Amino acid sequence: MDAVPQIVLNIVIAGGIYSLAALGFNVLYSTTRFFDLGYGAYALVGGYAVLCLYKWVGINLELSLLLGVLIAGLTGFLTEKIVYRALRARRASNTVLLIASLGVFTLGQAALAIFFSSQFQSLSRDIASQRLFSIESGVITATQLLILTAAFAVMGILVVVWRYTKFGRAVRAIADDEEVAQTVGIDSERVIGAVYFIGAAVGGIAGIAVGFDMGLQPLGMTILLEAVIAAVVGGIGNMYGSVLGGFLLALVENIGAWQFGGEWKFAFAFAVLILFLLYRPQGILPK
Amino acid sequence: MDYAVHILTMIAITGIAAVSLNLLIGETGLVSVAQAAFAGIGAYGMTLLMLHAGIPFLAAALFSALIAGAIALIIGAIFLSLREVYYVFGTVGLNMIVWAILLNWDSLTRGPLGIPGITRPEVLGISFADNTAFLILCAVVLLAVFAAHYAIMKSNFGRVLHAVREDEEAIAVLGYKTEVYKIVIFVISAALVAFSGSLYATYLSYINPSAFTVNDSIFILAIVILGGLGSAYGAIVGTCMLVGAFEALRFIGFPASIAGDMRQVFYGLILILFMLYLPRGLFGKFRI
Repeated sequence: MDAVPQIVLNIVIAGGIYSLAALGFNVLYSTTRFFDLGYGAYALVGGYAVLCLYKWVGINLELSLLLGVLIAGLTGFLTEKIVYRALRARRASNTVLLIASLGVFTLGQAALAIFFSSQFQSLSRDIASQRLFSIESGVITATQLLILTAAFAVMGILVVVWRYTKFGRAVRAIADDEEVAQTVGIDSERVIGAVYFIGAAVGGIAGIAVGFDMGLQPLGMTILLEAVIAAVVGGIGNMYGSVLGGFLLALVENIGAWQFGGEWKFAFAFAVLILFLLYRPQGILPK
Repeated sequence: MDYAVHILTMIAITGIAAVSLNLLIGETGLVSVAQAAFAGIGAYGMTLLMLHAGIPFLAAALFSALIAGAIALIIGAIFLSLREVYYVFGTVGLNMIVWAILLNWDSLTRGPLGIPGITRPEVLGISFADNTAFLILCAVVLLAVFAAHYAIMKSNFGRVLHAVREDEEAIAVLGYKTEVYKIVIFVISAALVAFSGSLYATYLSYINPSAFTVNDSIFILAIVILGGLGSAYGAIVGTCMLVGAFEALRFIGFPASIAGDMRQVFYGLILILFMLYLPRGLFGKFRI
């Protein structure tokens, strides 16, 4: 049973990444009530922006990370402004929005593949020099600890902003009923724009985390699915739920992969999603 | 000339897939991103039956279409209670799982190596080894599928499908079991696209999992969106345009490494621009 401590650590690390991915998706979906598949592309943009700045241009790490997150946020913000806002103004159905977002996803992913190639690329400059911490027979790197910290920090910040600030109240008002929010004087377009920036930026953090932990590939579907599954399992509209869902998803995936092989990881994750949608669509922690 | 025959054959095979998807998204309002998965089930099912069990093409293709239909029956029943967005998402996941199975079930599918040596069919004693003869076979199947589409939509069954698309609750109030209708059309669509998968396998004489990914389903979706929802005719025009564009992109001379991604950029743009400016599509009768 020597493998157990490492598996536990793997679950914790994956859980941190999935939590980040789910938090960003949750922010977008709970506010706009529109299922944006493009989120998978925004997350990738964050990772690839850091790849470009940090490894190619050679900017220092902290600035690269900051810019990467901002660029991801900006991508989401602009997509909303150019594509989704026009559709919402026309009262397009959810299906239309969904198909358009599938287009955004396909376009974004393929454009990244063209610029950065389909090769697997790691964000770490020197993997061997990383500090390692051993727990029992398992190992966790300093980067992974940082990712984990980031997940809880982002959750904390979102909870505080959503609950205690004027902006957060406006977001919640829009989530409840956009028209009512407008009649009480909330500029819903501006708030939704800001929400899009925040959600996509958090997605970008998740993409960057993936890039440091496992490496980047222009395949946004994986991170998109993990975000959606964790957010739905935890409960849309609940920040704690996204983190809980993230860790639960990591648990199921890793135990499944341990028992049956890594190639079936996704099938387990998907089975969890379907079970939840059928028997508890509101998630573990409803809003 | 050979090249024209090749393009027309690809149009006929892809057209079957597009018409089958139009039955779902265009006529019933069910957005599915899993057509490539069912095409894969059809292609692998037919290939394995033909190569390992020695069953002739037509019987093998029909039998594997039945298998695809049976799988669609189970999946359709499970997905029924998923609301619109989650239904779409469910089909994406389904496609990824089917792809993972094709890729990883080595002992059956040979994984990423694929299965070579699939022979051209012989139907009722006529050999279709020749490319032109095979094109005629594909065209006949496409015509049959087109006619089936027409017959379905002219029947009472088709009228209920339209009603489901327009207002499912209203038709349910009248006592129609809309669930049954939605499952049945899902099964029919899966069986049709599975048959096109069989044609594809025997045409290229080689299959591997990379032909049946989510991206391929998005390709078929882009065709139907372009052609217009609710129009089998539009689905075929859309197929001609996108398969044609697919071939034209080859001549522009992008390096092979990015040609596939350029196509994806193109399909993504189609989905976005049509939703923004022409959600009805070119020949669509129905606005989603």
